[in-house]
Amino acid sequence: MATFPERALAGLNAALVTAFDLTLGPLMGLPPLVSLLLVSLVTAAVMLVVVARTSNQPAMIETKRGIQAALFEIRLYGDQPGLMMRAFGEVLVRNGRYLLLSLVPLAWMSVPLMLVIAQLQAFYGYDGLRPGEPALVTVQLAADSGPAALVLEAPAEVGLETGAVRLAGSNEVVWRLRPTVEGAYALTVRDGDAAVTKSLLVSPAPGRRSPLSVATGLVDQVLYPSEAPLPAGSRIASIEVAYPEPGVDLFGWRMHWMIVYGVLSLACAFALARRFGVTI
Amino acid sequence: MKFLTTVALAVMVLLASATPASAYIGPGAGFALMSSAFVLVTTVLIVFVTLLAWPFRALWRALTSPAPPKASITRLIVVGLDGQDPKLTDQFMREGILPNFSALAATGSYRRLATTFPSVSPVAWSSFSTGSHPARHNIFDFLDRDRRTYLPMLSSAHIGKVDRFLKVGRYRIPLRKPELRLLRKSKPFWTILGESRIWSTVLRVPITFPPDNFYGAELSAMCVPDLLGTQGTFLLYTTRPQSQAFKEGGLRFSVAIENDVVTTTLHGPDNAFVEGTPPLTLPLRARLDREQRQVEVTVGAHSVTLTAGTLSDWIPLTFAAMPGVSVKGLTRLLVTELGDHFSLYVAPINLDPDAPAMPISHPSYFATYLAKRVGSFATLGLAEDTWALNEGVTDDGTFLQQTYDIDRERESMFFASLDRLRRGCLVCVFDATDRIQHMFWRDIDPGHPAGRGREHAPHRDAIRELYRRNDAMVGRVREKLRDGDVLMVISDHGFSSFRRGVNLNQWLLREGYLTLKPGTDGSTEWLRDVDWTATRAYALGLTGMFLNLHGREAGGIVKPGAEAAALKAEIMGKLRNLADSEKAAVGVNEAFDTAVLYSGPYLENAPDLIIGYNAGYRTSWDCATGMVSGPVFEDNLKPWSGDHCIDPRLVPGVFFCNRKVTTEEPSLIDIAPTALRLFGITPPPHMDGRPLEGLS
Repeated sequence: MATFPERALAGLNAALVTAFDLTLGPLMGLPPLVSLLLVSLVTAAVMLVVVARTSNQPAMIETKRGIQAALFEIRLYGDQPGLMMRAFGEVLVRNGRYLLLSLVPLAWMSVPLMLVIAQLQAFYGYDGLRPGEPALVTVQLAADSGPAALVLEAPAEVGLETGAVRLAGSNEVVWRLRPTVEGAYALTVRDGDAAVTKSLLVSPAPGRRSPLSVATGLVDQVLYPSEAPLPAGSRIASIEVAYPEPGVDLFGWRMHWMIVYGVLSLACAFALARRFGVTI
Repeated sequence: MKFLTTVALAVMVLLASATPASAYIGPGAGFALMSSAFVLVTTVLIVFVTLLAWPFRALWRALTSPAPPKASITRLIVVGLDGQDPKLTDQFMREGILPNFSALAATGSYRRLATTFPSVSPVAWSSFSTGSHPARHNIFDFLDRDRRTYLPMLSSAHIGKVDRFLKVGRYRIPLRKPELRLLRKSKPFWTILGESRIWSTVLRVPITFPPDNFYGAELSAMCVPDLLGTQGTFLLYTTRPQSQAFKEGGLRFSVAIENDVVTTTLHGPDNAFVEGTPPLTLPLRARLDREQRQVEVTVGAHSVTLTAGTLSDWIPLTFAAMPGVSVKGLTRLLVTELGDHFSLYVAPINLDPDAPAMPISHPSYFATYLAKRVGSFATLGLAEDTWALNEGVTDDGTFLQQTYDIDRERESMFFASLDRLRRGCLVCVFDATDRIQHMFWRDIDPGHPAGRGREHAPHRDAIRELYRRNDAMVGRVREKLRDGDVLMVISDHGFSSFRRGVNLNQWLLREGYLTLKPGTDGSTEWLRDVDWTATRAYALGLTGMFLNLHGREAGGIVKPGAEAAALKAEIMGKLRNLADSEKAAVGVNEAFDTAVLYSGPYLENAPDLIIGYNAGYRTSWDCATGMVSGPVFEDNLKPWSGDHCIDPRLVPGVFFCNRKVTTEEPSLIDIAPTALRLFGITPPPHMDGRPLEGLS
């Protein structure tokens, strides 16, 4: 039986999925770097508002000015090691204070950002399966479940290549697919009378992909919000489709999208900070 | 806070246990972690490199520099209280309100300190720093004159103009920086100390703009301009009908109220990046709330709610000159009137020390460092707005607040520097003593014409309170003293009353030495009415009188040599004990021949005569601005009621020291050689001063 927080989170995830599909979906025609830049701009603006409202700005300003003063002091008194080390100590102390001051806005930002990042992961974190490319479907059984006779049902276009391979040590069951036609499909895993479904997207085009369906559990639900959680009480803990992870092309460098997002959102935040009248 | 911190930690633990998003927990963490990491890496790197290089630098210095002198002290701390008067100091010490000065006098030394000829701050502090008379450092007054045009110019700094630009559309990019040159010659003693690797921190000693380049740090003072390029111009936005223009240092702008809102523009500096140099402006909007006596003012991007009659804190102003180039300033605002009429006083726009538009410190980042360390501070040379008080735009209370705020800023940077001084010299000049005595002397001089009707003025005790505050500050300095420290508390001159103004140009006119152009009455400023083809002498500045010398002045008619000497002697004779018949008093004691007073390479730039006004007299306001018209003697009715630009023998400064000094009659020019001697350096022969005896 799912707990109230799990049910609430499932509801929230459903709403977020709709919202992100509506807002981010149209951007998927743009190069990933460009759409990520737009997302980063919005993220930065929202985060600056949060920082402005939740942080102790006078203390942050004072602390940063103190750090800058100490840095100047290191330069000014470069001939006097005693004074220089004293200034260095001040930098360390004030840096610690700056980190402490950052905890409050961080607390406010972390939860919503986790939800946002989980949504973005569905769009940017996985490459599409292409017709003719193999992929594995892995069902993870619950730890205390006994042997199960699982059956995977898939449309003919999905091209189920192998039967179930049971890995007793890890309590997993694995199938190999080789889709032949682009499309959005539903895979069904039967465990006796019970059945659960899992989405599968075969297409190179950008869009939402859900690599993992999980049973109820707050952390997993936060991280994999694209599909409704597996039924409570099921012996199946999760179903995973191994989509390739593509990365984003940043001037010839292939990088994990989250790094690009992090850098861009930080750059946007620093660029916008003065306009928002915020010290970060 | 505790709860949120707990939540934050819990969230971070939660995230750390999750994959893959644990790789990045959002810009919030990014801000903090990246900034901190950047600071730490940078700091460690700087410290590491500096520490690594330090032994090599020390070795290099040991090999290339002379052996360090054997100093008899560890630290020399000089506190300059501009204008502290010995007569008042004696009086207040007797009254027992200056315990720290008294203690210094009892356990160390207290003397009168002979000032310079003339007893004017830029001259006096230049002599203090160089240990020499004006003919060796080239500063003779606030103003000098352009020998070609007879127009006044700043005596201490030359600020050039850029004449080569690269034009890009409507913008023009200067191809070089404007020439900025300190006109004070000779070497200040901190430069000589620096040559022996003895550190000095020099804070706001007059005539240090642009700053000296030496081993140490320096913040410039007197003659640092405001953002408009002047020596302090306040702005007044008012709904009152335009009346006479301000005589001194102010600009008036007419505004109108519409639906309790005033919309106008704040005038900034000329934009040198655009052809025609139009002024840079910022939108200024004031929403009036008469019931609450408050005004919400928005200037540029900054908004502040002002209560009528209360001076604001510093307000940052950023003027955009061209894309990517901005000019930053600081000002303070005061709603002086909020009724049927509205008036807003804008203090002179100081260069923002955080990002100064001109070099106001050495090293260049020292001003920024101080701003980070102690907060925003006034940078203008004469930062206390005496002109606004003189013009009746601000009141006594506002002026005192402004002055004491500046004093507090100064004290913060002084103590921050003292705290970091291990060995070497710290000099800091505090200006409040000078400014407050200028403006409040009328309250301690019973016969002062500007003091009439002020029997119950709320700040009548301003000068007594000032000395009490100085004493408290000296007490705080004494608490910081260590063995091996020498503390000197000095002033560059004393003070006297300024009851009567003397227009020497009018006197010269009456005596036939100065002639006006036909059809003029001499009421035009800066001697523009003077007929130079028939004028033999003229007065300019606060104490100087010049002969219109052939070959020196463009229109000179007095032949150098015997004719000039005879004329000089004649004028000196007439000025000796010049009587103010209306008051049956002597207005001028004596005129001093600079050729007799000084010797040195810059003697030719000196005024020919320095006027020794009697106590109670000074050059009149009209004469100071180059007007010839009006009476020779007149009452001074302005708040600026005390002065020191008189016979220097009447206004010595003070000298306090925590050690015994045996020299009976020390002089301001003795401080520099004394400082050198204390650090084991023989004063150079060009210094006129002599080290004080008995100090060890």
